Amino acid sequence: MSEGRARVVAWLGREILPHEAAVRAWLRRSFAAAGDVDDIIQETYCRLAALTNIEHIDQPRGYFFQAARSVALEQIRRARVVRIETVSEIEALDLALEEPSAERIVSGRRELERVRGLIAALPERCRRIFEMRKIEGVPQREIARRLGVSEHIVENEAVRGLRAILAAMTEQDAPTGAKGVKEKTDGRTRKRR
Amino acid sequence: MVERESAADIEADAARWVVRVDRDGGAVRSELDVWLAGDRRRVGAFARAEAAWTHMDRASVLPIEDAPAKVATPPPRRRGVIAGFGALAAGLVAAVVAPRLLARRYGTALGEIRRVPMDDGSVAAINTSSELEVSMQPRLRAVKLERGEAWFAVAKDPARPFVVESGPVRVRAVGTAFSVRKREGGSDVLVTEGVVEVWTQDSGAPPRRVAAGQSVFADNDAGVLTPPKAEADLTRQLAWRDGQIVLDGQTLAEAAAEFNRYNDHKIQIADARLADQRFVGWFRTNDPEGFAEAAAMTFNGKVSQSGDAIVLRGG
Repeated sequence: MSEGRARVVAWLGREILPHEAAVRAWLRRSFAAAGDVDDIIQETYCRLAALTNIEHIDQPRGYFFQAARSVALEQIRRARVVRIETVSEIEALDLALEEPSAERIVSGRRELERVRGLIAALPERCRRIFEMRKIEGVPQREIARRLGVSEHIVENEAVRGLRAILAAMTEQDAPTGAKGVKEKTDGRTRKRR
Repeated sequence: MVERESAADIEADAARWVVRVDRDGGAVRSELDVWLAGDRRRVGAFARAEAAWTHMDRASVLPIEDAPAKVATPPPRRRGVIAGFGALAAGLVAAVVAPRLLARRYGTALGEIRRVPMDDGSVAAINTSSELEVSMQPRLRAVKLERGEAWFAVAKDPARPFVVESGPVRVRAVGTAFSVRKREGGSDVLVTEGVVEVWTQDSGAPPRRVAAGQSVFADNDAGVLTPPKAEADLTRQLAWRDGQIVLDGQTLAEAAAEFNRYNDHKIQIADARLADQRFVGWFRTNDPEGFAEAAAMTFNGKVSQSGDAIVLRGG
């Protein structure tokens, strides 16, 4: 990872991820017609990750909402039939931004506890692997050696842990692990009455 | 219509890519690029998963945005980083045999931390750049702290009090555990178990009792001027015994000063605004670079080397 990229990724983790749950809730509430919320979120991260300079962003939370809104609007424009109200709901973004995010005033200590709590809540082997990698800084290969398991198992557990943590951080239901469980997004009717 | 890849599939694949890059590094880069090029959402999902993965590193490091919280529980230890004292002590025993010697000197170099068992069953942990002399007499166990800092776990022996001399400051214990740090104008005393008495010779002030969980500063001239202070985070302050520096709401300036006690490579904070930022983290005393990197990452700063100095400035 280049230094610039590392900085953006750290910023995403610190300033953006904590607001994803709020953005998701707002997306669901305001315009289900815009398509799958997961799609919008991924597309939004794609734009945020392309940033080369984040220093000018004073309000990451607001910036995240704006970016998600612009992605959603674009998807609505692409769709053939759209409720007029949908667009006006999205335009009413300011409402969602009003409260200056109580969660931003969380102390460093609570954030530390939260991150540790997320790791602690993982299933046993998964948790152990995450702790070794993330707290103790042991490389994956060495973890496999110490636990006497294959690298593939370490990889699978780490993937499982990362997905569970992402889900918990963004307050979604834990992923089922199976691919293709979620409904496909295209072909869904965007016409709503 | 072509089946579109679901967001859930992309999310699962992205997490796997992050873990593979973590393991194999650049070796999988071209393969990853091919995957990323397939769909913009993949780029987003990968960045998102990478952000969460990196964010987990904060399990050991993170900034504090408000005033330092009162510490209710000691922070969990960073495990597996530092080898236990057992091995260290075992290595030292060989060098420290010669029983029946009345006075014995112990010293540590910059960055060195030693744990030394004494003849009476007490143990001393000696911090960086310190020197002390231990003299086991029939009615007195006398320790002279010439410079630096040491923590003592004193074996119980009512007939032979254990007295630490730090300049004119005296700390007296029977069976207890405490640390003494010799500073410019006086000494800090931290008590982890039992009770000690602290006074300054010729100050005229009576000895002050300091109990477990308390600390006191004894001035070289005036003695103990303020009542003992309750310390909620003694474990943190004594983390050096395990070769660690634990930060819990200290400013970067304070943290840098702490690291500079242990290392030739001194940390300089070239930016006053940065110096006041507060920080939580677990570090090894001999890893000032790691600390500087973590601080720079957290506060959007930059680290550069200038001769022997590690310079930290705002971004």
